[in-house]
Amino acid sequence: MLGVDHLTVQYGSHTALEDATVRFESGQFSAVIGPNGAGKSTLLKTMVGLLPDPGGSVRFDAGHTAQSCVSYVPQQQTLDWGFPVTVWDVAMMGRTGRLGWLRWPGKSDRERVVAALKETGVYDLRRRHIGALSGGQRQRVLLARMLARDGHLLLLDEPLTGVDAATQEQLMALLRAQANRGRAVVMVTHDLEQARRWCDHLVLVNRRIIADGTPDEVYTPRNIEATFSSSHLGHTHAEA
Amino acid sequence: MDWLTDPLQFGFFVRALLAVVLVSVLCALVGAWVVLRGLSYIGDAMSHAVFPGIVGAFLAGGNLLVGALVAAVLTALGIGAVGRQSGLKQDSAIGIVFVGMFALGVVMLSRAPTFTTDLSNFLIGNPLGVTPADLWGAGAVTLVVGAILTAMQKELLLASFDPTEARAIGLPVRRLESLLLILIGLVVVLTVQLVGTTLSVSLLITSSASARLLSRSLRTMIGLAALLGTVGGVTGLYLSYYLNTAPGATIVLVNTALFGLALALRKRD
Repeated sequence: MLGVDHLTVQYGSHTALEDATVRFESGQFSAVIGPNGAGKSTLLKTMVGLLPDPGGSVRFDAGHTAQSCVSYVPQQQTLDWGFPVTVWDVAMMGRTGRLGWLRWPGKSDRERVVAALKETGVYDLRRRHIGALSGGQRQRVLLARMLARDGHLLLLDEPLTGVDAATQEQLMALLRAQANRGRAVVMVTHDLEQARRWCDHLVLVNRRIIADGTPDEVYTPRNIEATFSSSHLGHTHAEA
Repeated sequence: MDWLTDPLQFGFFVRALLAVVLVSVLCALVGAWVVLRGLSYIGDAMSHAVFPGIVGAFLAGGNLLVGALVAAVLTALGIGAVGRQSGLKQDSAIGIVFVGMFALGVVMLSRAPTFTTDLSNFLIGNPLGVTPADLWGAGAVTLVVGAILTAMQKELLLASFDPTEARAIGLPVRRLESLLLILIGLVVVLTVQLVGTTLSVSLLITSSASARLLSRSLRTMIGLAALLGTVGGVTGLYLSYYLNTAPGATIVLVNTALFGLALALRKRD
């Protein structure tokens, strides 16, 4: 289980998120949905521990911390794809946190990376430079890194952006499978339809939690209106 | 082949060659991270910011390299502190600290009784003035820096490629950057001796930048940068010997030409 209690995040005088309380359970595929600037990424980053002093608290299962169990997949376009690393190198980065300082990857690490690359369908591309990949392939490589890390909580920021429709379906199936294996999967997206078809837990956000529950509970005209109506879109710059 | 062996009869020329090779390897090790993390401006800032350390050590009659090193460490920490305290963007913090440090050096210099060649060597550099002790020092620094960077390679790689993920898994991203700044300072101190404060950033980044254009992996990039730096350095030294030009600046020009070549040769994929 992962969650936040009464979380309020401010950037200067702008409130990105106000009094948000939400839970993400193991075995669930959750989607956090809202327009640009709604505080979706802020919620995710708080849970990963990237915001130093959030107002409110982040809760984990006993014995867990963000550093021990969370895999975070950033928005693809925040990375430098001209970086001199191969597909294999990026997947192996998933082992960095598991290995710790002054330790080099061993046989079991390589086996995990091979398995992750095969599961995401980019094993044959492992020697390619990442700059030579398509948007969909890049996202697969990031998911391979996430799997190689072997975290219990998988947090993904806009994993479908820049990805072709066919690959989108495969990625969603892959994430669904991770949840079915008992992991907690949380995806930030603005694609309500996609989320409704694949996820069993939707959270609508627009600077506060608008609705939280199963797709049937959440997917109502009133909730969607409250989430996406233009009156809430006055502050679009804050999703940092 | 006389033209190749002729200069080797001079001890100072052999020492200069060895120094250039050593520093090229060192610059490749550190320069890779400087180029990948977009720290070139800091490298330039460092090369100017060590100036007051050099002048101070000169006036106090101390070791100029130690003076430069102290200034480099202070600058590395100062840039981080100013950035955090003021909330200004990093390029502003760097600009404020390095120009301030350089001005301090100029003011201190204006109080110096005489302006000797000893000190001017540090401003424009002179690879032909390298002593055996300098070589041992450069060798030791190369080994230590190489060991540190190898030990931390996977952490530096993640922190450079994806700082967000690095912070998420609990890596001390800020401290890693401070460490890099101090290593940059160390390298600058050694390169300053060869090509002077104003040109030293060229040795740090030009070969690494050329190598980046031609490499698909970090290991290739570092190896290629060391190779290009060595080729540029050796070629530049020989050219300066026969053309009777300033050796430091000649090396920099050859490196710049090699970069142009790398840019033209780069394969598009």
